[in-house]
Parts: sequence; structure tokens; C-alpha cells
Amino acid sequence: MTRLVVLDNEAVQALASPRHPKHQRVLGYMEAVERRKRHAAAISLLVPAAVRVEAGWDRTAAQWAFLNRLRIMDVSLDAAHANTAAAIHEQARVSVADAHVGATVQLAPNADIAVITSDPGDIRRVAGDRTVTVVAI
Amino acid sequence: MMTTAQTLSAIDRDRFSDGRTTRSWYDEFMGTPDAIERISQLLDSDMSKTSNTSMRIPTALREAAALAAKELKAAPSATALTTMALRSALEAAVMRAALDEHYAQYPEARPDLADIAIATAELDGNPLAADPDRIRRAAAEITAAHPQPEPEDVLLWAEARAFPS
Repeated sequence: MTRLVVLDNEAVQALASPRHPKHQRVLGYMEAVERRKRHAAAISLLVPAAVRVEAGWDRTAAQWAFLNRLRIMDVSLDAAHANTAAAIHEQARVSVADAHVGATVQLAPNADIAVITSDPGDIRRVAGDRTVTVVAI
Repeated sequence: MMTTAQTLSAIDRDRFSDGRTTRSWYDEFMGTPDAIERISQLLDSDMSKTSNTSMRIPTALREAAALAAKELKAAPSATALTTMALRSALEAAVMRAALDEHYAQYPEARPDLADIAIATAELDGNPLAADPDRIRRAAAEITAAHPQPEPEDVLLWAEARAFPS
């Protein structure tokens, strides 16, 4: 089964800045994913588009070059994700970015999902019925 | 139109020391960051375009891949299985290069074996993740006994130590 690892805003911020207190910790997750890929495991790193907006991650800007190289795929805010995220945003009263994390989790095809987050409570709420491994940073 | 002799002569002129007969755009010097960038672009590009390749792979490996696809349902086809494995290896290579380049600039940011073992346990939802000190002890012990342990070795050792001898 495919493994998906989703980053929230804090995880992105921590990864982006070497001065961030959680930088080394989030690099540990990148190392774990790199090892799995090296052993041909089906594993992908994902960042929902709304998280990227909240984090200010512009893929064309030079300061984001390191993250761009880590094979972190965008989850676009298409119609299906927007509808689900809107419902989550309304019901769970979370940020737009966290609502898109929730939509990413809920709409992911058959997969094991882990979310790296600074707000495990919110992520559990937005995940709905999906089983998700919440990694609190 | 070129004759066969002219064609062979042209191939001979273009023959490289490693036996290749065609020039590639990357034969010009390309540094690691540029290579990472270009490989990433290629991995992100349209994968519906395919090409037949003269890449030689061992016959036994090809047969094993065909069997794994057909009988074990490891992938829809041997080609799909090969493509998946190749993509995974390329993505790992790009990530490795990017991480190593980052550590060259920020050596203090490099996570140690215990950090990576803890991260692995957390991502897997492994109950050991709740006891990071135990994982750190296991990492210290296994590092003393083995030259290059993997994070999975650390987790296995941490679990094994929980059993009474």
C-alpha cells in the first residue's frame, strides 16, 4: 500500500529554516522517507496547496530551492478538494490550510497516511473517518 | 542520403570512450545542483510520453519482473514495475543529494541515527515512538557493536531488548 506523508505549515516552516528549533527533527522525517524510497517503497511527501500559500512557499523563489529538491508534491486545490475543505473549514473551525490538509487526508486513495503537524488535535478532527498517523512536532 | 559506410563512419567519429554512440545534452559539464534541478524537472514532467529504449537489463531480472507482475500482482506490468522502481531510486538519489548539500552548508542540522530511528517509528505509528529514550539507548548500543547500522536495525534492537532473556 502506498504511504503518504503530509506536511502542515509548521512542518514546512521548520524544514525551510535551519534556525527553526524543529529543523533537525523534520529533517529526520525526510531522511526516513529517503531511505524508504531507496528501498523502492511506495512513499510520497505531499504539501497541500493551501499549506504552501500559508507558509509563503513560492517554488519560483530562490530561498525555497532546498524544499523544492526534496520531492514534496503539491496537492492542488481542485474542485473536489475545495468542496471537502470548505465543509471541513465550516464544521471544524480550522484554518484554510488545515482544512486542505483534512481534504487531502479524506480524499486520498487507498493509502497509509501520516501527517507531520504542530497541531495534532486539529488534524485528528479534520481527518474525519480516515485512519491517520499524526506525528506531532 | 548517407551510405552504410558513411553512417558507420559517422558513428565511429561520435563514439565515446565508454562505448556510447550518441551525444547527450548532459555531456557538457553539469554540477550537482543543476543535475538535481534537471532530474527533478524530468521527474515532474509528462510521463505519458514513452520511448523504446536500448537499455540492457539482465534477462533473468526481466523474467523475474514479468513473473512478479503477472503472478504476484506487484504492478500492472513488468514495465510498470521497472518504471516504479526506477522512479523511486531517482527520487531517493535527488533527495540524498539535496540533503547532503544542505548538511555541507549546515552540518549541525544533520540528524543522527537515533533521530532518524525515532522519526521512522513516528511515521510508522510504531509504539516505540512513545519511548524515544529507549530508541536512543538502542542506537548507542548498536552503534558500538556494528559499523553502519540502519534506523530499522535500531528499532529492531530496541524491540528485542524488551523481551526477557
